[in-house]
Amino acid sequence: MPKLTLFVQIQGQPNIVEVAVDERANESEIHKALLEAGLTIGSDQFVFIDESDEPLSAQGKRPAAEVKQGTRVHVARCRRIKITVNYLERTISQEFAPGVRVRSVKKWAMKEFELDKKDAAEHVLQLCHSTERPTSDTPLHSLVRDNDCAVCFDLVPEIRVEG
Amino acid sequence: MTVKPPDQLLLEQDLAAAEFRCGELEGRWRHVLTAWPNVVISVAAAPRQNGPTEYAFRFDCTGYREAAVTGQPWNAETNLALAHKDWPTGRSIVPSIFRPGWKDGQCLYLPCDRMSIQGHDNWRNVHPERLWNPARGIICYLEQIYDLINSNDYTGPIGA
Repeated sequence: MPKLTLFVQIQGQPNIVEVAVDERANESEIHKALLEAGLTIGSDQFVFIDESDEPLSAQGKRPAAEVKQGTRVHVARCRRIKITVNYLERTISQEFAPGVRVRSVKKWAMKEFELDKKDAAEHVLQLCHSTERPTSDTPLHSLVRDNDCAVCFDLVPEIRVEG
Repeated sequence: MTVKPPDQLLLEQDLAAAEFRCGELEGRWRHVLTAWPNVVISVAAAPRQNGPTEYAFRFDCTGYREAAVTGQPWNAETNLALAHKDWPTGRSIVPSIFRPGWKDGQCLYLPCDRMSIQGHDNWRNVHPERLWNPARGIICYLEQIYDLINSNDYTGPIGA
């Protein structure tokens, strides 16, 4: 059976691991492929396909239809991550799945703050109390620093490169 | 047998690494060619009227990865510098970085660019998130380009 390449990102580890799975692998077969690739999945960890809301079941026989060549898989301690975004005097919060990317959070925040496309172009999410501005493809679990499964952003103006 | 220099070996290692391949399979960028010390990589762009699906960049990777690379918009078909009218532009942020007039279009006006950072020590404080990161190598440059030409600020090529 043809194989697909998955890119696995593990919460707390900076590197990406490539894992091959059968094209029509179901949930448990994907779990098995991760273990066979040498990854450890503890009982307190969850496996998510890309930005999916629900984790895979280690015994599940449901076909993982959303899996395709190059799909990202996330092994995370956090089942959900509480996101807080500060903008001017307002603060919004919502829980997201750990594989959700910064791009999706920004889109949500722009809608909640009722900002238009022009504003979106001129603002960026910056981690609170830092100068770190993760790129749009960054999954949320990679930004969790403590054990609280939470990430705080400030929505700040993007600065033109000048000087 | 020709022995490859360490900077070339490091670049080859990074182009074969999962992080670069992940970007390729997700359609964010693709390796076009390597003619050491240069590598040409195309980066996907958001659809715009009369805009291309991707822009190519030629990176000079001498001294990789301790030394930053320098990147220039490139015409992958003619293997020449991209005409200034074909450079990407936008409303505010994108044109501050894609400046054909800066050093005659030899590099992007980005803090992670080896040529542009020279003489811009203040960028280390003003744009710390845009600096070259030797641990991440060319990925940190590609991610910035990708985000710029897929942002709402990007409007298409200058001459469109």
